[in-house]
Amino acid sequence: MAAVQGGMSDADIETDIKTEPSTDGFGNNNANDGRVLSASPGSGSSTGSNKQTAAVTPEDQQTLLAVLQFLKKNKLIESVEILRREAGLPENSLDPKATESAGAGSGGAAGIVDLEGGDVSSLLSRVTGSSSAGAQAPTKAVAEDQPDVRVVLSAYSQQGDPTLYEVYYSDLKKFIETVLDCHRAELSQVFYPLFVHMYLELVYNNHESEAKAFFEKFSGDQECYYEEDLRVLSGLTKKEHMRGNETLLDFRTSKFVLRISRDSYQLLKRHLQERQNNQIWNIIQEHLYIDIFDGMPRSKSQIDAMSGSLAGEAKREANKTKVYYGLLKEPEIELPLDDEDEEAENEEGKPKKKKPKKDSMGSKSKKQDPNAPSQNRIPLPELKDSDKLDKIMYMKEATKRIRLGSDNLPSVCFYTFLNAYQGLTAVDFTDDSSLIAGGFADSTVRVWSVTPKKLRKVKSAADLNLIDKESDDVLERIMDEKTASESKIMYGHSGPVYGISFSPDRNYLLSSSEDGTVRLWSLLTFTCLVAYKGHNYPVWDTQFSPYGYYFVSGGHDRVARLWATDHYQPLRIFSGHLADITCTRFHPNSNYVATGSSDRTIRVWDVLSGNCVRIFTGHKGPIHSLAFSPNGKFLASGATDGRVLLWDIGHGLMMGELKGHTDTIYSLRFSRDGEILASGSMDNTVRLWDVMKAFDDLETDDFTAATGHIHLQDNSQELLLGTYTTKSTPVIHLHFTRRNLLLAAGAFNP
Amino acid sequence: AAREVKMSAPKTIPKDAQVMIQILKDMGITEYEPRVINQMLEFTYRYVTTIIEDAKTYASHANKSNVDADDIRLAIQCRMDQSFTSPPPRDFLLEVARQKNQTPLPLIKPYTGPRLPPDRYCLTAPNYRLKSIQKKVSSSANRISVPRLSVGAVTSRPTTPTLGTPSVQSVTTKVGTPVSLTGQRFTVQIPPPSQTTTTKPTTPSTPAVSNVLINPSLIGSKNILITTNMVSQNSGGESLKRKHEDDDDYDAL
Repeated sequence: MAAVQGGMSDADIETDIKTEPSTDGFGNNNANDGRVLSASPGSGSSTGSNKQTAAVTPEDQQTLLAVLQFLKKNKLIESVEILRREAGLPENSLDPKATESAGAGSGGAAGIVDLEGGDVSSLLSRVTGSSSAGAQAPTKAVAEDQPDVRVVLSAYSQQGDPTLYEVYYSDLKKFIETVLDCHRAELSQVFYPLFVHMYLELVYNNHESEAKAFFEKFSGDQECYYEEDLRVLSGLTKKEHMRGNETLLDFRTSKFVLRISRDSYQLLKRHLQERQNNQIWNIIQEHLYIDIFDGMPRSKSQIDAMSGSLAGEAKREANKTKVYYGLLKEPEIELPLDDEDEEAENEEGKPKKKKPKKDSMGSKSKKQDPNAPSQNRIPLPELKDSDKLDKIMYMKEATKRIRLGSDNLPSVCFYTFLNAYQGLTAVDFTDDSSLIAGGFADSTVRVWSVTPKKLRKVKSAADLNLIDKESDDVLERIMDEKTASESKIMYGHSGPVYGISFSPDRNYLLSSSEDGTVRLWSLLTFTCLVAYKGHNYPVWDTQFSPYGYYFVSGGHDRVARLWATDHYQPLRIFSGHLADITCTRFHPNSNYVATGSSDRTIRVWDVLSGNCVRIFTGHKGPIHSLAFSPNGKFLASGATDGRVLLWDIGHGLMMGELKGHTDTIYSLRFSRDGEILASGSMDNTVRLWDVMKAFDDLETDDFTAATGHIHLQDNSQELLLGTYTTKSTPVIHLHFTRRNLLLAAGAFNP
Repeated sequence: AAREVKMSAPKTIPKDAQVMIQILKDMGITEYEPRVINQMLEFTYRYVTTIIEDAKTYASHANKSNVDADDIRLAIQCRMDQSFTSPPPRDFLLEVARQKNQTPLPLIKPYTGPRLPPDRYCLTAPNYRLKSIQKKVSSSANRISVPRLSVGAVTSRPTTPTLGTPSVQSVTTKVGTPVSLTGQRFTVQIPPPSQTTTTKPTTPSTPAVSNVLINPSLIGSKNILITTNMVSQNSGGESLKRKHEDDDDYDAL
């Protein structure tokens, strides 16, 4: 606060400023409030005896004045007198004309005077909700009197003269251009949030022409990756336009996070505080959160790698929670000792008769992996007999799996949907690659059989009673042969189906749609069983948990929900994103959920508590695909900017960047053992990346972990193992079979 | 496929369409099918007329002769809250999330079969009911009508594999104890399957039963136990139980 008053050179004011220090304790956000009390002295004439109502805090002062103004407007003169007497307010603290003329008369530097006059009328404007620029404005303020206590308490308070915003901004620009190179990159981060907040403030306070001029002058200076946001802003010129836009409202009320080194921060602070007009300082304090770290300032490339999200970067504390990224221990299943298993056992090098203990998922040690969650951290369904049979099949197939690597690339089999006319919106494969499901824009869900085996419905209850339940092939007998067909169509949704997911036991299919519901379909009767209602807005993605029973969905209402199939309401609500959630994925251990959003961040949520445990920023466009590595340690994400980013979940850092695609990446999949990452994109290609190498190259020392500085190598070219182009089919889904054959799916788009 | 829009000479494109093309360009949309402009114009026209009509209503309600900006503002606001709702604000969502996330995850009961919400929230119940067309039992108490009661009920509910005992029950409860049946013993022949219109052929079982004995003392009670193999098999069907409940609910004839 001292700095604020220090800037004022007018002698009249100094005397009263001495009384100010008692209000200094009110913290940064009350910069205006501090000025409120000093403003009245600025009105010269009769208010030398400005009784400092020490008993009344500045906020209350504002509210009191607002109330007084309201009473005055409604001609409740006596109440005005009584209230004024009781509150001990000076007589003409409300008189705009007197204060305004006095303010104009006190001379001095233009900026300061405007500040003074601006202060008084800014107080009033806060009360009246109208502009306060220059001398004419206060008269207007009286004329368009809109006393509104809400304005007093609103998020945006008038920070001085709107016509001077351009001046403030250019001053800052000049300053930052003159600082040392090493600091310049960091301080340039301030431009974008400052620009947007200043613009929004002008719009919110109805200074349309100033806002437009401000925008035109400075929008070109911003970073290229903010182009989309700026375009949205350019269409937003009136306060009413902001009403329905939840994303922008969230942006206004949340703090944009910047990570700046201590040296750069000191520079900035010193500069702003010694200037006379501290509007920028006030805005910074109110709307920006500066996460200061000790150490070397970051370079432009480092900053560019991490920035781009709608809310700035992530605070360091946001990524400090311990995440149990290890896998759950596989249950012990005895492989049946028949001839078919001869290969399996011989490969493991054990004698034929000995029962193999575990499967191949790396759970060789009996000890609990310190990074793995405990088995009952979240309740999981028990294994049924059919699940155990599935697991046995899985382990058998795993032994026949091809080991992939940079020298051994997978073969790719592409499933092209013909005659979909751009209506194919979602695809999923079952884990054993026997079924493929497609969600379409005409609101149908279709299931095809990939193997020659046809799809059959289960018999009716009447017929089921007639079959021999003890026979060996009872699972065949329950199927009704007359309903055998290559594909089945399921109707039920009333909007395009955007997300689709098979359950691990192949009994259920989930689909999420623009109509706001998530539907559970039975794959035995091919009918809809449940419609889960909760999102009232389009649901962009849904996925079953790797163990079944739970599923997650995310949509336009900016929350992701965790459901269980037997509860009609969600169990957890993951709220925190600023914009739609476009992609939701479970971690292989089912304890965490990752969500990618249009606000260009990825958040990882803990299923047990519902808290956000990781925030990853760095993408420059909405994220459309996520993939967890099979060992649970890493996350890959793809967005509309054509980059695939790799994240280390444990440390919460970006580990790699894979450049190559030229259009949105809609699908990502790790191979079964995690050596290769396949990415499919709208540019009609499938690319294979050597992530084994990317993970090996990672050096995470303490400094990196502590500060979040990352040194990304630009080795995308080395990591790219192959690019496979389709004729004219964007790739919207990828799937590795259990034997590491890559399946891809897309709709032919001539 | 998306195609670029050709800018024809002004004389062929109306002014509104030109404005719309410019708007699309300003918002950064460069590729769009030509019909998009028509759709956007249609939407614009419909929206603006709706708003203006609403505003006229409000102005006349306030006894104003002219529609002014306030009316328009009010019309827009009301329409926004009605048709173009936006998702809830963040603080509300955070509060709801906090409450929801406090409850621990429910334990999973083992061995419960398909894990689905209570039937009320599922879409598994039949959502229709066919009206039965039988005459009243008392009117024609011949031996054919009785089997038709039971078999006919089957036809009216093709989705349920039952022999329709519930519907018989509903008929009889209304009608009361059929007078004609009391004190009589009937030997009833269930018609061969080809005459029935059951969708689920129960061929294996019918030859086994050719005679049905209806014990009159059981008529009028909730369940007419037709002692056939069919019934005993079908009463095991789970949907039978559900059918009872539904019939109790929709007991209207």
